Amino acid sequence: MRILDLALKDLTQLIRDWKAAFFLVVMPILFTLLFGFVFSGSGGGDDPRLPVGILDHDGGNALGLYLIELLDAADSVRPVILSGEIAAVEQKVGDDDLIAAVIVPAGYSEQVLAGGQVPLTVIVDQSSPGGMSAQQGIQTAVTRLLGAVKSARLGAWVSTQSDEVQLTFLVEAVDRAVEAWKQPPLTVTVTQSGSIAANDAEAVYGTNNYAHSSSGMMIQFAMAGLMGAGEILVLERKSRALQRLLTTAISRAGIILGHFLAMFVMIFLQLALLVGFGQVALGVDYMREPLALLLLMVTLALWAASLGLLISVIAKTEEQVIIFSLIPMLLLSALSGAWIPLEFTGETFQTIGHFTPLAWAMDGFENIIIRGLGLESVLLPAGILLAYGALFFALAVWRFRFE
Amino acid sequence: MKVFDIALKDLLRALRNTFFLAFGLVFPLLMAGIFHFAFGGLGDDGGVPQVRIQFASLDETGPEYGHFSAGEMLFQLLDSEELADLLQVTPSLDIESARAAVDNQEADVAVIVPAGFTAAVFDPDGRASIELYQDPTLMLGPAIVGDIVSSFVDTFAGSKITAGLAYDLIAEQGAAATEETLQDVSSRYAHWAIELKKEAGANSLIEFRSPSGDDKPAGGAVSMVALVMAGMMVFYVFFTGAASAQSILQEEEDGTLSRLFTTPTPQSTILGGKFISIFVLLVFQVVVLLAVSSLFFEIAWGDPLPVALATLGLVVVAASFGIFITSLLKDTRQTGIVYGGVMTVAGMIGMSSVFTGGASGPMDTVSLIVPQGWGVLAWRLLLEGGGLSDVLFPVAVTLALGVGFFVIGVLKFKKRFA
Repeated sequence: MRILDLALKDLTQLIRDWKAAFFLVVMPILFTLLFGFVFSGSGGGDDPRLPVGILDHDGGNALGLYLIELLDAADSVRPVILSGEIAAVEQKVGDDDLIAAVIVPAGYSEQVLAGGQVPLTVIVDQSSPGGMSAQQGIQTAVTRLLGAVKSARLGAWVSTQSDEVQLTFLVEAVDRAVEAWKQPPLTVTVTQSGSIAANDAEAVYGTNNYAHSSSGMMIQFAMAGLMGAGEILVLERKSRALQRLLTTAISRAGIILGHFLAMFVMIFLQLALLVGFGQVALGVDYMREPLALLLLMVTLALWAASLGLLISVIAKTEEQVIIFSLIPMLLLSALSGAWIPLEFTGETFQTIGHFTPLAWAMDGFENIIIRGLGLESVLLPAGILLAYGALFFALAVWRFRFE
Repeated sequence: MKVFDIALKDLLRALRNTFFLAFGLVFPLLMAGIFHFAFGGLGDDGGVPQVRIQFASLDETGPEYGHFSAGEMLFQLLDSEELADLLQVTPSLDIESARAAVDNQEADVAVIVPAGFTAAVFDPDGRASIELYQDPTLMLGPAIVGDIVSSFVDTFAGSKITAGLAYDLIAEQGAAATEETLQDVSSRYAHWAIELKKEAGANSLIEFRSPSGDDKPAGGAVSMVALVMAGMMVFYVFFTGAASAQSILQEEEDGTLSRLFTTPTPQSTILGGKFISIFVLLVFQVVVLLAVSSLFFEIAWGDPLPVALATLGLVVVAASFGIFITSLLKDTRQTGIVYGGVMTVAGMIGMSSVFTGGASGPMDTVSLIVPQGWGVLAWRLLLEGGGLSDVLFPVAVTLALGVGFFVIGVLKFKKRFA
């Protein structure tokens, strides 16, 4: 009971400090929204495909219209017909109203149908994820358009046995080829592993931009609360409250466990709040596998509490508690892929990243919310978190000083 | 001279402070170092790791197709020398084991060629689909494989469409298409498609340009490390500005400030000395960060004059913002939430354009609602090759904001100590 009393005292002290709520809940939510928004694309209403503007300076001639049809048949982009000046179109792309814009130059149809080669202009930010997807979609559509022209020219050539083909005949042939390209005979189908069905796309990166940022920020800010909790222990040591506690009936182990329990409960409650926010407000399906989620939350909280205990043992001042909390928080978050998925980093970085417990925590959360896997999939991540937690806890107990 | 004595004393105290050393110098460099490492530093070749592919083919061939197998051709393409740095292809015995490898995260994507794929290539009415079975947590690797496979499939699809169209057009002319004719147009199309891919690589089909109107891809030319370093520098310079201004509150609480006010030294000299120390400390911080980052991360910050201007703007606005925000606080107990919370949130908003890779968009506009955003903008323009004329506007804004923050901060401190 004394352990519980001590833990309750620490928790009351933490909860009374409104700064704790800010660091534990408000900041991770803000960062989740920020990262989710930054990595999001520009979807549009009922049609989730990326909006690509078409500015046709070719006077509504055949190829511009066919390009619109082929873009409309694409999976990743949808055409938005534009008019006006190029500068205004650039502005729309710059403002992210459109993910990209294609400008069909004057005389395009005439020259391409005559066998010439005229480049289209595409305004796009090639460095953004949405821009890269749109670029690929546009390239495919343009290649198919030119393929349709080539098919038409070849078809016209063998059917008329002449190089001189009437334009109307050629346009009609292109029209047929474009129709064929809308449902090509040979295709590529993408399916996903895991138990989340392909049509249940709510919880995958493709549509839910918060799947990564929600879990990433959650594991990052699990360490933010250690500042407040660690400060309590350091202050108690400095004010000799810890020594005074030794004169009471509570044992040394009881004191350590009491403080540890407070840290664990605080972090677990923080995780529960953030999971609830992710589930309800962001649509990230944490509750898909409640048991797996619970195991991961418990082991993550145990690991973070052990780290908190270790920090409060090493730090001599409140200032050092902040430094020793923030440095591992930001360092481990960056290394573990909490900010940017490890997939985008080099091979060595990925390997080193997986020496950190947080990379395993990320894997565990992704197994639940993105891959849709069950309890078995989080056993290894949870085991690794637990092992790190045990190591930190043992170090903290070994080095624990009451004065 | 007293003003400099006070400034020197504050400066020495700040430089001996482990907090400044940790958060002012070590941390921004450490974070940039991590990104340098993540995106190709320390031995990696700078690219993404090889995409692990499991290749399962149920495709058959036979004498009727001249023993040609489209599935085998796709395998050879993916497993070719040219793509060896990008792809690591493992043939799979069956579909189940290919899928299992992806399920067990031993492969990133499984390429599954269905039975009768080659037949569908030759059969005028044949239809088939190659399946890409991918890990849903991955984006980049499967996208690369998807592009290559789609391009491969489109070549055959285009050949089929061409043959079908030729067949119909010939029939409409009242003749019958021979197999040789159809094969001829198909192979002509395939040849053309292969040539087209080479031209597409040379950007002769599409000219890409960024929304800002220049020819270089936005942000693409600037390394992630440089952008992160710029963002971190701005973030922590603001942090240092605020933390340094905290010494005014600390001295007020310790009673040393009131004791100083009883000496013949004018109040303006005392406060002036403190303000000078903040400005000098920030200049020192920026110079060290610029020098170390260009040395270790090979970041080209730009020409000296625009760099000096951007430094001036950043230092003025960060120091003034620190003075301003500290002037609003009652005591050092309030600094935790302000420095840890407000500065962090404002810093992250200001840095958001770093995470978008410098792309134009709403986040870039939002980032400009905080002074950090203007600081980041100036450095980003420099990193993108901007010159003096490019940085003049953001620097002017930071200076104007700096003057505003400084005037309000000084007035509030004067009123407080009157």
